[in-house]
Amino acid sequence: MGNGARMTRAVATLGAVALVATACSGGGSGGSGDGESGGDVTLEFSQWWEPELPDGEFRALMDEFEDANPGITVELLSGPYASTKEQVIAGAAAGTMSDVVGLDGAWVNDFAKQGAIADLSSIMSDAGYDDSQLVSQVAVDGSTYMIPVVNFVYPMFTNDAVLSQAGVAAPPATRTEFADAAQKITGLGNNTYGWVLPLSLEAPNGVQNDVMSWVWASGGSMLKDGQPALVDNPDVSSGVEFVADLWDSGVVSPGAFTMKEQDKVEEFTNGRVGMMIDSLAHVNTIREANPDLKFSISAIPAEDGYTGERGIPYASWGIGISENSEHKAEAWKLVEFLMSKDTNSQLSSIAHAFPGNTESVPDFVEEDELFGTAFEIYQNGYPANEFTGLPVAEQLMRDFSEELQRALQGDQTVDEALAAAQEKWEAEF
Amino acid sequence: MITSHPTRARTDDHPVAVAAGPEPSGAPAPRRGLTLAQLRARFTPYGFLTPTGVLLIVLMVTPIVMVVQYSLMDRVITNKNPAFVGFQNYLEVLTDPVFTVAVRNTLVFTVGSVVAHFVIGLAFALLLNTPLLSHRVKAFFRVLYVLPWLFTVAIIAVLWRLLLNPNGVVNYLLGTFGLTDGQTQWLSDPSTALGAVTFINIWSGYPFFMISLLAGLQGIPRDLYEAARVDGAGWWGQFRNVTLPQLRPIIVSMALLDFIWTTQQFALIWMTTGGGPITSTEMLSTFTYKLAFTQYDFSVASAAAVVVLLLSMVLAFFYVRHQKARD
Amino acid sequence: MTTLAPTVATTTDRPPLRTAPKQTGRKIAVIAALVVGACFSALPVLWMLSSSFKRNPEIFAYPPRLITDGFSFDAYTTILTDPVKLRFFLNSYVVAISVTLLTLVVAVLAAYAFSRYDFWGKKTINVVVVSVQAVPPITLLIPYFGLVVALKLYNTYPGLILTYMVFTLPYAIIMMTGYFNTLPKELDEAVKVDGAGPMTALWRILVPISVPGLVSVGIYTFMIAWNEFLFALTLTRTEDMRTVPIGIQLLMGQHSYEWNEMMAMSILGCIPVLVLFLFFQRFFIGGMTAGAVKI
Repeated sequence: MGNGARMTRAVATLGAVALVATACSGGGSGGSGDGESGGDVTLEFSQWWEPELPDGEFRALMDEFEDANPGITVELLSGPYASTKEQVIAGAAAGTMSDVVGLDGAWVNDFAKQGAIADLSSIMSDAGYDDSQLVSQVAVDGSTYMIPVVNFVYPMFTNDAVLSQAGVAAPPATRTEFADAAQKITGLGNNTYGWVLPLSLEAPNGVQNDVMSWVWASGGSMLKDGQPALVDNPDVSSGVEFVADLWDSGVVSPGAFTMKEQDKVEEFTNGRVGMMIDSLAHVNTIREANPDLKFSISAIPAEDGYTGERGIPYASWGIGISENSEHKAEAWKLVEFLMSKDTNSQLSSIAHAFPGNTESVPDFVEEDELFGTAFEIYQNGYPANEFTGLPVAEQLMRDFSEELQRALQGDQTVDEALAAAQEKWEAEF
Repeated sequence: MITSHPTRARTDDHPVAVAAGPEPSGAPAPRRGLTLAQLRARFTPYGFLTPTGVLLIVLMVTPIVMVVQYSLMDRVITNKNPAFVGFQNYLEVLTDPVFTVAVRNTLVFTVGSVVAHFVIGLAFALLLNTPLLSHRVKAFFRVLYVLPWLFTVAIIAVLWRLLLNPNGVVNYLLGTFGLTDGQTQWLSDPSTALGAVTFINIWSGYPFFMISLLAGLQGIPRDLYEAARVDGAGWWGQFRNVTLPQLRPIIVSMALLDFIWTTQQFALIWMTTGGGPITSTEMLSTFTYKLAFTQYDFSVASAAAVVVLLLSMVLAFFYVRHQKARD
Repeated sequence: MTTLAPTVATTTDRPPLRTAPKQTGRKIAVIAALVVGACFSALPVLWMLSSSFKRNPEIFAYPPRLITDGFSFDAYTTILTDPVKLRFFLNSYVVAISVTLLTLVVAVLAAYAFSRYDFWGKKTINVVVVSVQAVPPITLLIPYFGLVVALKLYNTYPGLILTYMVFTLPYAIIMMTGYFNTLPKELDEAVKVDGAGPMTALWRILVPISVPGLVSVGIYTFMIAWNEFLFALTLTRTEDMRTVPIGIQLLMGQHSYEWNEMMAMSILGCIPVLVLFLFFQRFFIGGMTAGAVKI
């Protein structure tokens, strides 16, 4: 008896709360400005780029786009890089994803499988777009889902002063030279180390940039026919053995197991490591932070005697279109704009990255010797990042990092680590 | 002996139906008007609980029910048409060796944190309650002591990563005073990582205990202490027989809540160690996160969450029973 | 600590019987203990403060120094002159203050029911209130987000406020029930004899003497709402709705961090909270409740 009354009351209150809630949200600033009327379209573009670029510069590019495309407005939604992924997943599940999204190559496969991002191949062909001007496209099952807008390559950075102090005449070009140089630098003492290796499990991209890069630089591959090939693969095992040998000889800066890319560059900037493999995005950071530090950029050392093309790892600011977007055609216009020769040159100039359009040339390549060298390395080698487009790519890196940590800790051999990682990887494919 | 002094009013830890809650036997009402009053009295508590109830049901119970649902399906979110798979996801979670490691680490982390939160919180609360110092001095220290509480987890993680860096302040100080060789890799060494993470959590969480206990100390009637002194109790006797028993309800509630919250601690661990090195700081929270957001297996992640929920419900049940027993 | 416990426990207004030298010794011991404790709690924060004045690379310099050559207020000026970041602060205030006030009202009502009534289902409701907190928020994220979008609360203040109330209510209810339980029921009965209803008893009698409890619960609630990150990020979309913790994480870039600005922003964030705390902490000062309880 009391139950009924209670229920009625509960239901009534629930209804009231819902009403209030709706009323509140109506008054809130939640209106996404769909603007169905008059053919005006507002594109939401969520990315982590805007806060990383000089103030207002990315917005200025968007204004240019709006001027060229009357009727389309771009709303930039910026979020922290580390949380972008969760936001895209949640947004896709709730149907509130932005029309255009910034992507990292490591996420593409998963988002495509989730049905969160649209097949760009068909959009491109609908728009009659000539994709030969694109440097690269990231495809899943034969269809493109992400286009790298700009690329940050990862060459080797060397501290000139530290190297000459240690009696190393030129940046090492082979693994033996590198190990030797690392040894000499560490021998200087005074808390200086030859190399730095970030293996954090939170952001495990050190596996891609600082470990696998050794394999790729000697033309090796960690995959075979799209499947993991970590065992019985001399390229991989020699590369990883090399890393383990460096570790065992004590030339790696301490704290590696929780170190992230952002920490790595601070160690280098403070002159505590002589050499690192790092993103060109850091050139300006280092210069601003420590104007006195003289450093050089060179290709990642290869196996002794290797003469082929060297793979050079990179990270991209990629772009994709939401599957739920009601304005795919307009969204594509924005992508096309960002990929166009001039805009792409401009964007890569302000981001200090290499362009995603084959014809674009960022101005810093000619003005800045260091970037000029880097561009040369980039053009002499080939961009290599085998994790891009793989399923659960981030988890693959994490699995690998965990097994590598076990090996470096001495709990298992490198071969055992590779076998264990192979097993985990196979389960994910 | 202290409690035997029936100083007024202190005996009613237990709520008594003040507003004439009708006895279950339900003595027949003499008049109709009274029955109505009785009926109203019976519904009054539900009225008081309505706002809470609506909020929790709509915003908490609903998503939890959805999580339970997810846990019985196959690859929700990523799979467009998930199938019902029964308890398979639970089997997968419970047989995962990393899950066992995570449970163990979570227990060490949680028990260590809660005990330390309590001990440090109580010690600081007692210190700050001292009658020996002026209000101004105490106010100054109160502000200092509450500081760790004022920061968002992300910044706590970043700050401690800096401090515990091999080239950081902690090592520098320890090395300078010759306590260690100054080379400890606090967060990156599998043997110290769990301890280091627990320490950070202790630092960031004790003010919560301290503040609540400080408020609790104000509520202890002074004549209880006087009575204890009359009985010849020394400082320890007073602490043991007056302070602790009087604070007990607060301590038990807070310990339980802190326990539940600490098992959920995610961001702090994730942003300092990411669950590593290897699996030395892998917790239930990081384990679940990786399942959901890097392996895209929301079903298995949900199953792991439900397991944690069930464990906590057992804990909550004992807590409520304990309260009942006190009545 | 053991040696300090007695002096502390004897919160007495009676003239102390002990001799003066003994008092002084105790005083020194208490102060020494307080200083040691303060090192533990405040030194890391001091380091945060010092880092906020450094240039980025100096933060990693070895040996570490408290004050460096690059000492400057640049990080603070950058933040304080950026309208977007100031908006983050405003949002955090609106949300945290609303959450605190609403949570206190709702929790006091519920706690009153738990403390003063016996009713059917009390035990079950209690178990539910305690254990709903046990679900890892990270797994709730997706269904919760869907719910908020469906209720049209996405990217609104009410969305954030109601969310945080769900987080803070269980604690607030449990603690307020505990405080009410320590207050004699004769208090509210006395009012009712005069014909007043339970609401009068609650708001006129119980609430005023529970101020220390309310303040401590309020501070806790405020801190949760002020510092929460994950839901704040997921449930908001545009810059004009985002809160300080998101602002801090926006400084953690893909390739590098703005260490000094992060530190400065969190220092700036904590100052108003400290002021609030300074204002309210007089309610912790001894004897208030104990005096009021005397009938």
